[in-house]
Amino acid sequence: MPERKFKYLSKEWTEEVGKRLKKDLTPEKMKHITSSMLTIYTNCPDKKTRALYYKLKDGVVESVSLVEGALPKAEFSITADYDMFAKISRAELKARSALMSGKMTLKGNLVKALTLSPTVDRLNEVIAKVPTEY
Amino acid sequence: MPEKKLKRDDPYFIDFPKRIKAIQKEMAKHGIDVYLGSRLRTLSWTVDAFMPWRSYIVIPPEGLPTAITFVIDAARVQDDSWLDQDHILGYGPMGGQDQVSLLSGLIKPHLKAGKGIIAMETGMGTYLPEGHLTLFEFVMLKAALPKATFKNAHDIIDRLSLIKDAGTINRFREASRIVDIGHKAVYEAICDGGYKNMTETEIAGLAAYAMRKAGSEWEWSFTGGNEIASGYRTGLAAGACTPASRKKLKTGEPLMVDLHAMFRLGLGDHSHNYFLGKATKRQLWHAKNFIDLIHKCLKAYKPGVSPTTLADEMLAFTEERGFQDYMVPGFEHGIGLMGDEWRIGLNDGPFEYWTNPDHVYKKDEMLICAVQYACPEENVGFRYENPILITAKGCEFLSKFPLSIDVV
Repeated sequence: MPERKFKYLSKEWTEEVGKRLKKDLTPEKMKHITSSMLTIYTNCPDKKTRALYYKLKDGVVESVSLVEGALPKAEFSITADYDMFAKISRAELKARSALMSGKMTLKGNLVKALTLSPTVDRLNEVIAKVPTEY
Repeated sequence: MPEKKLKRDDPYFIDFPKRIKAIQKEMAKHGIDVYLGSRLRTLSWTVDAFMPWRSYIVIPPEGLPTAITFVIDAARVQDDSWLDQDHILGYGPMGGQDQVSLLSGLIKPHLKAGKGIIAMETGMGTYLPEGHLTLFEFVMLKAALPKATFKNAHDIIDRLSLIKDAGTINRFREASRIVDIGHKAVYEAICDGGYKNMTETEIAGLAAYAMRKAGSEWEWSFTGGNEIASGYRTGLAAGACTPASRKKLKTGEPLMVDLHAMFRLGLGDHSHNYFLGKATKRQLWHAKNFIDLIHKCLKAYKPGVSPTTLADEMLAFTEERGFQDYMVPGFEHGIGLMGDEWRIGLNDGPFEYWTNPDHVYKKDEMLICAVQYACPEENVGFRYENPILITAKGCEFLSKFPLSIDVV
């Protein structure tokens, strides 16, 4: 039976991401961090802007939610084109390279962001394993 | 709590929130919506951390300021500063994290529909690390904030930082105490022929070692750290800047030892002079001229005196004694927390960004009493530098190393 694929940034895909993050990432792996992060996808195929909002408490991914319209406040926000995020999710591009090229922007304390980047990489590794249809 | 965060009863305590409020009061008076500081002196005076990389501070109309520095040093600056980690940010070559994005992001919330007055710090200086806003930075910020008006307003901080508070004065006293330890180490190393086979750089290094052992953070001077000169280098025409060279010390030559120590951004700066092994009658005549002049100069510094009135008095004495040809005709340079060097007082003199010769000293101002004697034709020269505090009736010279020109 072919593997079920989730449509990128759909409600189902977001639920699957949340489920896997909770299951695969232990508080130890996530260094017990408490933070919030928005990844803002501009120029989605339907021309809309969407965002994923991640809430972590003491290393536990409490929630992952899809946001359209008004964005909640987050400690960090990362903004890029849908295509750019898709390339990162397909492991065709490193997030670091996207940031260094200026095609992806980060808002938030850079010192903290650099400290947390290995932890965020772990999060991305889990997301990359979700069977996705772009 | 990091060792550098001080309690109110500590002799080196400085009330930084009070300083920020004083700046904000002046901003309101001048209709300034947000202050963008970039000079090293401004950063030291507001952040209380040594910020050697290109850095900025954004001061809002009320509340805490935010300082920005190169990301590789941001955590260390935060560790040293009174500001918390949300108010010390790092910049780097990443989308949204470059200097202009971060600065415009911090400034924008204080403008109304993008309009308002942004104070900046620009000008001209003899001091290379001054840190005025560069033309490129200005052009980029203007493009990011097109409706805002930029106004040069460094005089706000220059005026507020002119009179020194107790914590600042005590930091300078301690830096001078450390410099005196450096001088003692040099004296002990060179006396009784110990100078033989030594070089100027070696003198600079052994003084640095002694001062570091005593707690100095840095031989802070941008003029090469500890400035050591011997022989003809002491008498370079109109010279007052001698980074140590590899020149070997020689018997019969003068030696100029100008040491710099830093303690919590307070700066020690004292020069002492020697003759190595022996001195001729003529050399001793030069030495007596110099020492007598320094005694006179230190007696003259008091409230109400200006660089011009002091120079007139000192130069009259040099003429009377017949050594006017050997004097560099200036007797001071400015000083404040790290980065505040060179110009005395405010930028209000006949030549922009130079000391106003008619600046009138007031109680609790600090300056470096700086005197340079140079006789190039005889390869002899001396330097005196000492941080002095203008007191109610005179001055306190902070380095206490005995004033003399020793034959060692």
